[in-house]
Amino acid sequence: MALASVPTLRRRHLPVLLAASWQAARAEPADDQLLIGMSMNNLLSLDPAAATGLDAATVACNLYDSLLEVDAGNATRLKPSLAQAWELGDGGRRLTFRLRTDVRFASGQPLTAAHAAWSLQRVLRLNLAMASVWKSYGFTAGNADASIRAEDAQTLVLDLPQPTDPTLVLMTLATSISGYVLDRDTVLAHEQRGDLGHAWLTTHAAGSGPFELEDWRPKELLTMRRAARYWQPAAKLRRVVFRHMTESQTLRLMLMRGDLDIAGGLSAPDVRALAKRPDLVVEEVRRATMYYVAVNARHPRFADERVRRAVLRHLIDFQGVAGSVLPFYGELQMRPVPPGLPASLPQPAYTFDPAAARRLLAEAGMPGGFDTTIRVVAEAPFTGIATSLQATLAEAGIRASILPGTGNQVYGAMRERSFEIVVGRGGGGAEAHPHSSLRALVYNPDNRDSARLSNFQGWRTGYADAELNRLIERALLTPDTAEQVELYHQAQQRFDARVGAIQPIAQMLDTQVLRRAVRGYQGHPSGATRLREVSKDASP
Amino acid sequence: MKARWMRGGVSAALALLGLLLLTFMIGRVMPLDPVLAIVGPDADRATYEQVHHQLGLDRPLWVQFGRYLGDLAQGDLGHALLTGRPVTEDLARVLPATVELATLAILLGALLGVPLGVWAASHHKRLPDHLARVLGLLGHSTPVFWFGMMGLLVFYAWLGWAGGIGRIGLGYEGTIPRVTGLMLVDTLLAGDMAAFRSALRHLLLPACVLGLHSMAYLSRMTRSFMLAQLSQEYITTARVKGLSRRRVVWGHAFLNIRVQLLTILALAYGGLLEGAVLVETVFGWPGFGSYLTSSLLLGDMNAVMGSVLVIGLLFVALNLTADALYRVFDPRARA
Repeated sequence: MALASVPTLRRRHLPVLLAASWQAARAEPADDQLLIGMSMNNLLSLDPAAATGLDAATVACNLYDSLLEVDAGNATRLKPSLAQAWELGDGGRRLTFRLRTDVRFASGQPLTAAHAAWSLQRVLRLNLAMASVWKSYGFTAGNADASIRAEDAQTLVLDLPQPTDPTLVLMTLATSISGYVLDRDTVLAHEQRGDLGHAWLTTHAAGSGPFELEDWRPKELLTMRRAARYWQPAAKLRRVVFRHMTESQTLRLMLMRGDLDIAGGLSAPDVRALAKRPDLVVEEVRRATMYYVAVNARHPRFADERVRRAVLRHLIDFQGVAGSVLPFYGELQMRPVPPGLPASLPQPAYTFDPAAARRLLAEAGMPGGFDTTIRVVAEAPFTGIATSLQATLAEAGIRASILPGTGNQVYGAMRERSFEIVVGRGGGGAEAHPHSSLRALVYNPDNRDSARLSNFQGWRTGYADAELNRLIERALLTPDTAEQVELYHQAQQRFDARVGAIQPIAQMLDTQVLRRAVRGYQGHPSGATRLREVSKDASP
Repeated sequence: MKARWMRGGVSAALALLGLLLLTFMIGRVMPLDPVLAIVGPDADRATYEQVHHQLGLDRPLWVQFGRYLGDLAQGDLGHALLTGRPVTEDLARVLPATVELATLAILLGALLGVPLGVWAASHHKRLPDHLARVLGLLGHSTPVFWFGMMGLLVFYAWLGWAGGIGRIGLGYEGTIPRVTGLMLVDTLLAGDMAAFRSALRHLLLPACVLGLHSMAYLSRMTRSFMLAQLSQEYITTARVKGLSRRRVVWGHAFLNIRVQLLTILALAYGGLLEGAVLVETVFGWPGFGSYLTSSLLLGDMNAVMGSVLVIGLLFVALNLTADALYRVFDPRARA
């Protein structure tokens, strides 16, 4: 009887046992890991000399250390990091950094000023994407050895090759990926054909950060483990997993299931829905990057200031776009210098006014409007802005066709100056400094086609104003803070009065959705969000 | 026999060469700039031109293509811009993920679709036939990404039966030693049963979604082949001889459609291997389709050419396998 009952009992309970086993698979070992879902489309390299974009910044700042850091709560405040002290000398042309003595790379090598000097020199020698900012300060591969040098194991000296505001250089050291200090010996051990380790560093890391790179499968997955030795208190979590995810709906479902701790790149409707959940938190971080509408001032039509004024001042429904298209993507911002800086100005009073636009177009000899095209990156919120613009342009008789494309196609056309109107995003470096924004969006030192200054949005739009350039250059070199602020005000007012060819609409917001169980996460305005302080409440 | 194989080999090589040439030319006229993807939109002209030169894009097209073929002859598919790694390494990484997904999908599709097609044909113009046609129509006409999203919503978000996105739970990512690249096999080899269950939970839903699409196609094709067979005189004869309906359908008619079924199975499997991109996108499946699409959008021609070559080779291999199986199933082909 007893023997007979055993198999019967087993058969009856088999589905239950299978179901229990199936459910048991749901409990996954993630309490000491931070699981982040985001698009890693732009993460093409981890080499500090070549890596561009916010994705790379987010990852690299946890693998490397920089000489200085910027306070996540106040983007204008510099903090010591590898450099425990720094000073200005030689009339603002020399920066001297005193480095810590207790820092070691993941390889175990001690970090010295020689490594810091070599890392910066390497950026210039390779002359890849991240060299641009250093070249703008006058550094070149030719002067790198003389102007960037280690005086002793703990002292690094930077002699600025040309006059500039040293605060801007300090900001770049604190926020740019190119300012990270590399383990020279490890990198050179992987050098191929004189590439200074570039090929190897594209997919590897050699830093001193709180995490070490464990695995990177591009457009799939990146994992980091807590560094065995770190000069600051060790990272609280054992592991960080970045998962490439582009579908907003999928991110949303995974957050709801608790399978992700942090998600970025969600669509506005999904963020809105998730914001209502008690177990999730929405965090927005302002970036210096701007959403903008740009016209090509090389085109005869947009060379006329009246047409630019009609299109960029009176035919953009700023308030409407900000209220309906931009929530969670950006905040209304109509000047090139973002708010929160000493040189920031109040928002101008641009209003959507088709009647005024029609009058201006009539004065310019185009009473019936004209046909044009709007190039736009085919994703939110760009398409929403472009659609709104198309409708508002039509109210003044301007018939615009929308040409959607990839970022590569849209900005490629802009770099070639072969566009009429672009709805895009850009400008504003990571540095919280007015020059950074004005240089990126407005400054255009040589408007000739042959100059090919395609890294300046000002050149791309073909708009040049010698007086405006002079104001920006003077402001940068003015040591007196009040006078500098006044010059930046004048530059912005002139840009406003002369109707530059690029019109900011909004300052970019980087919106992340976090599980409430995540503690200590603070998004950084420069993208360098450090995860060493992040922890998680244990799963119930 | 030997001559036939040689003829087959030469025509396959010519087809692959043509495929590569066509892809190369299309890639060069596409309005995409791989240099811009590498240097970023804010790089200055000098940097841009340096990278342009490093990629060899300043050389004439025929020189670029010639170099590619020369490298290919030595088994070198170049480096991918997308990943900075050799394309061969990338393909070895992404292909097993898709093979795992597509194989389970085609098995599900065939195991359900073929009997459904036979059932529909043997009940022509009756309820089972109508039901199968509606199912086929639904499976074929409903966008696969919609099925995917709905599947995730119901079986993952609401019921919690299926895994989320990816091939395994995020907590296991990067912890399973890679041996075959097939996650189910690798988790078993690692002896980690919890990870195996996680991998299985992640695989089933996308495989079902993909399999549903194949099932619809296979059932419709099977039905059509079977209808053609069931109207033949030898079927009438068999019925007149008093054979059971089941014997007539499965023992006579079905045996005669095996060769045709093989062809469409091979094509359907090939289609899944290179065309699972929508399912891969919805389920964050790091497979071949996603890799090819990302490479295309970036203008990463080494990766695109390598992927196209693999697709070509897959189809050639599937066709050769189908050819070989014809001779097993059809005595006339052995002659």
